[in-house]
Amino acid sequence: MENFAMLFQGFGTALTPMNIGACLLGAVLGLVVGAMPGIGSLAGVALLLPLTYKFNPATAIIMLGALYYSNMYGGAFSAILLNIPGDSPAVVTTLDGYPMATKRKRPGQALMTANTASFVGGIIGMVILTFMGPGLANLGLKFGPSEMTALLLIAMTSISWLVGENPVKGLVITALGILLASMGMDTLSGAPRYEFGNMYLLGGIPFTPFVIGAVGFAQVINLINERDSDNEKRAKNADKDTKLSIRGSVLTGHDLKRLLPPALRSGFLGTFVGVLPGAGATTGSFMGYAIQKKFKSEEELGTGAIEGIAASEAANNAAAAGAFAPLLALGIPGSGTGAVLLGGLMMWGLSPGPLLFENEPEFCWGLIASLFMANLFTLIVAVCDSVPDQNSVCAGQIYDTDHHSGLCGGGVQHEQLYVWCYCDVYFRCGGISAEQEQFPLCSNAFVVCTCSDSGRQYAQSIYYFRRKSQYLLYPAHYMCTDAYFCRYCRLLDGKTAFVEEES
Amino acid sequence: MKKIGSKQLIPLATALIGVVFAVIGFTQLGFWDKEPKPGFFPSIIAIVLVIASIAAFFQTLKEEEQPNYNKNELMVIGGGLSLIAGTFLVGLIPMVFLYVLFWLKVIEKGTPWKDIIIIELIVAVIVLGVFAGWLQVQFPWGMLEMLR
Repeated sequence: MENFAMLFQGFGTALTPMNIGACLLGAVLGLVVGAMPGIGSLAGVALLLPLTYKFNPATAIIMLGALYYSNMYGGAFSAILLNIPGDSPAVVTTLDGYPMATKRKRPGQALMTANTASFVGGIIGMVILTFMGPGLANLGLKFGPSEMTALLLIAMTSISWLVGENPVKGLVITALGILLASMGMDTLSGAPRYEFGNMYLLGGIPFTPFVIGAVGFAQVINLINERDSDNEKRAKNADKDTKLSIRGSVLTGHDLKRLLPPALRSGFLGTFVGVLPGAGATTGSFMGYAIQKKFKSEEELGTGAIEGIAASEAANNAAAAGAFAPLLALGIPGSGTGAVLLGGLMMWGLSPGPLLFENEPEFCWGLIASLFMANLFTLIVAVCDSVPDQNSVCAGQIYDTDHHSGLCGGGVQHEQLYVWCYCDVYFRCGGISAEQEQFPLCSNAFVVCTCSDSGRQYAQSIYYFRRKSQYLLYPAHYMCTDAYFCRYCRLLDGKTAFVEEES
Repeated sequence: MKKIGSKQLIPLATALIGVVFAVIGFTQLGFWDKEPKPGFFPSIIAIVLVIASIAAFFQTLKEEEQPNYNKNELMVIGGGLSLIAGTFLVGLIPMVFLYVLFWLKVIEKGTPWKDIIIIELIVAVIVLGVFAGWLQVQFPWGMLEMLR
């Protein structure tokens, strides 16, 4: 009850005109930045941090919190409409979001599903953060190398859940992804690894450019194939069927019934994953989706199922909320964005840690209250933004009505020009058409990422493969696996170095 | 003797990559010396990759269908490669504009100038406004770098 009372006090701090305005501004900016493929929440928060210099600490962090949160929403926009994840947590959303928008011709409802699930997941995360934040943060700290290795190996073995019909090819592409992720600096020794004498590879293969390049290029090729087959008809259909409208965006009661169970489940799961230092929203969304695979869905996951969108979006938003627990209670950022927020807090003279709740209760609870506000505001902004007028760019389809040309670029609003602003590249190993699906894994994409996060390199490997003209993406989740695995081996070997490190 | 196609070449290529990573991992990076060395985990994965690739190779030999190739698909790949090559000559930003112009005027044949100008303007706003202006991305200028 004490926490509840403090939360109400926090609302008192947050609900001033200035703070509401800052929250709204952060929500709008975050949504825009989040929807831009390649920027993501980390760069978004870092770029917009200077905007908050002139604010007082509470207002500034409220704005940044809203910005961070709306970034999570924004990533789903491009994932659903363009099949390009705006940021890494939205990668999983493309699996069902894009097919729902295009193949099922329900782009508005796909966006609404993502927004609603994000809201539900976010609220769950925040409620847990409110009542159990410090306790969860301590629990997260107890996750040492052994536990993290176990968690990550579970995530990796869950390949079998998603690998589909051909586990061997899945294994090939997953292992290849992991190898590419291992390029760059070794996380433990700091020695260069597999850089092949190229200084550009010293930092590894960056995730975002790789995903966007890989995903976008494939789609251009896909478009070329589609143009060759029945292009006029397709253009007319696209013009007719995939426009967004308010009416088309409303979810039915049945849709909500399908949405809520996975959203609730992923909300709890995502919060827990978000609390773990180093895990973050991306891990959350992948695990949420993998868990959803084990539950019954009305439509098969990967074919545009509401359950799939709900699972990933709820998990990544809940994880974003959960990440605040170690950040505030322990001063440990759970993600790269958390590290930037930590920097912001320190810039304003605040020292996150166990004493922050005692020394700065007004600020702490104001921030948590503002996250609730941010979640609500972002939902409103996102819903308004997801039902644009009839001339807007519609679900990924870009057709020049005369030439039906596929372009890689930004969205365009033009009466005659529907640009595929759609960069869907997969590795065209062998140049096999996606529609032909003769070599489903290797002919399609794998994505590897490495990203620097809180001074520790996290690596992920992901691979895409396509099944009957839709993507099915599977993450071989590799975050810290390498480092943790090595540490775990040291532990098994009884090395004192590890014991000292632990102590 | 079954004809070897791209379906078979892909697992062979991945097996080769696995061998390269394993060799580097074992010989240059080190596998285990009282504790895991930088090559420890990648070497294990490389071995897994080699084994899985060999299995995939034999699997593909049983598959009858071979992929069809479309000339237009190669044009996209060619376009991407020429964009990269052009970046080394005149830099990325001029090459992006030239590429869009070339694509719409030559490949698409007959795109009205009005549409081309609109698209080029949009590209300019995104590339110059957002990336060069706002985000301060340092784009490569290729050989023009020497003139700056």
